[in-house]
Amino acid sequence: MAYLMVVDDDEDFANAAATVLREAGHEVDIHLEVETATDGMEQRRPDLVVLDVMFPEDSTAGFTLARTMRHYNDELKGIPILMLTAVNMKMPLGFSENDIDDHWLPVSDFVEKPVDFDVLKSKVAALLKRAASGAPSEKAQ
Amino acid sequence: MARTSAAPSFVLRPQAEPSSPAVQGEPRPFLPGPLLAAKALWLCRIRWGAVAILAVFGIMGLVANGWEPLGLLLHDDWPLIMAAGLAAANVAFTMHARSLVRSRAEHGAGLNISIQMGLDLVAHTFVVHFLGSIETYALFIYLFHIVLACIIFDGRRSLAVAVAACVLYAACFTLEAAGVVSPVSVYAGSAGAGYVHRATSTAILNMASAMAIWLGTWYVASYMSAMVRERDLKLAETNRRLVAVQKERTRHLLRTTHELKAPFAAIHANTQLLLKGHCGELAEKAHAIVLRIAARSRRLTREIQAMLQLANLRSEAEDAPLEELDLGALIEESMAHVEPMAMERRVSVEYNPCSLRIRSVRGHLRMLLDNLLSNAVSYSHEGGDVFIECKRAAGAGPTVTIEDHGIGIPEHKLPLIFNEHYRTNEAARFNKESSGLGLTIVKHIAQQHGIGMRVESRVGEGTTFVLQIPRSSCVDGYSRKREEGAHGLSHGG
Repeated sequence: MAYLMVVDDDEDFANAAATVLREAGHEVDIHLEVETATDGMEQRRPDLVVLDVMFPEDSTAGFTLARTMRHYNDELKGIPILMLTAVNMKMPLGFSENDIDDHWLPVSDFVEKPVDFDVLKSKVAALLKRAASGAPSEKAQ
Repeated sequence: MARTSAAPSFVLRPQAEPSSPAVQGEPRPFLPGPLLAAKALWLCRIRWGAVAILAVFGIMGLVANGWEPLGLLLHDDWPLIMAAGLAAANVAFTMHARSLVRSRAEHGAGLNISIQMGLDLVAHTFVVHFLGSIETYALFIYLFHIVLACIIFDGRRSLAVAVAACVLYAACFTLEAAGVVSPVSVYAGSAGAGYVHRATSTAILNMASAMAIWLGTWYVASYMSAMVRERDLKLAETNRRLVAVQKERTRHLLRTTHELKAPFAAIHANTQLLLKGHCGELAEKAHAIVLRIAARSRRLTREIQAMLQLANLRSEAEDAPLEELDLGALIEESMAHVEPMAMERRVSVEYNPCSLRIRSVRGHLRMLLDNLLSNAVSYSHEGGDVFIECKRAAGAGPTVTIEDHGIGIPEHKLPLIFNEHYRTNEAARFNKESSGLGLTIVKHIAQQHGIGMRVESRVGEGTTFVLQIPRSSCVDGYSRKREEGAHGLSHGG
């Protein structure tokens, strides 16, 4: 159905998520580093990106990649981004759907870890449907 | 193969010790630029007072000999000339100082103040001569600038001002003694036309006494100023470190949360793969074991999260930023948060909505509501209901009531439910995933924000939490006082 990219430094989680998404009929590539993910996106444009926030060398690499895709790359700006995070609203420094905006957190939606795969599949399906209908890659309603 | 070049290396050096406090007399830094500019402007304002006094003096002098019956010989020329000169200079100083304040310049203010003081010292010398260099106490005007220099400048520069005062006064005295200028006095007395004759030895003794007083004042004032400045610098450094520590703590907390939760996310993900048949059908016993792994993994995740929340709350500075919140909307957000659990357990959550605006810390209030609502749903029987009400009586703060009809809490255990890691046996049997920290977090937040709380419960009938938010938190003109409202926790049954 769609070509998805999972960008997460946790290989165990990434493989599990990719297994579930493949069984849902999608083609999935995994990238454990933001740098290789960027190269991969430029070689083949994904239909959706599942993106973690924190990476080993940079705890905000996920944010940076999302902003780069949205603001500095015309080829990639329209790709829906589903962000994964272990730091949620329960932590005073966490963030929620209310924080999604075009500048600071320019993603389409986010899922809290640990991830319920049924939730993951339904959010991916909803975002792909929105993208196919031509709606902008903003926060999913 | 032999190495042809040294391998890249990194050396971890011991952290440098903070610089020890400087000893008095060693060069000290100026105050920061913007602060010095403010002081330059303040000096200009004071000078206007001196200009006014000189102008009044000159105007009084226009009344010619009208002051002789009072024993005074006033002149109109020198006071008015000096007032005009000082006024013109002050305009220039003021304009320069204002531009420095606006631009928050780091440099320039020190030079401005130095020139101001230099001009003032020269002007003072003229005033001292015309008022009477020995006959009046005018010579103590120099003390003002010596003390000011001690406050603003470091030890050497302030000593330079004190020495300049001594030199100028000595020059005035010497010129008068040598007859280059005639000594003058504002006191009529036996001076006739106002010229004074004095014994040289007396005059020298007088001058030396004055200089000794000035230099003694310089010593005391510079020592005290050095102490105060040292303390200010230490406070500024401590403040800087506190801000840095806070940032580091924030970064550490985020990273720790991620590092602790991420492995459990992977465990959870893989147990889902097994349980949902992505790796083939599991035998019944294997399925049960994997279910237990998943449940313990979820429980551990919640415990870690709760521990981190509590640690963060305890170490947070008391004054977390307040914002204006819609209490009703916040309750609805919390309800959405527990909705998946409520649906799973077929627990209905009814809410009597309100729209009340309060000032509080959003994150804290959400944590408090999330924990209470989660408990209400968790400890309800399947198919049960939870009732939430928010209202405000006249003259009081808002009240939030969260009522469930679940397992309830024995009366003698009510005082213990807010203790860290405490769970009643009934609760532990009913909900194995509880961390025992939720109500501890609730208690901490309630106490931090002056929120009163009452708990009523009956075994088998359910539990009701009543929160009394302080009236001072309401956004309708009440002043913010964290001491208002009920404190502590009361238990009912």
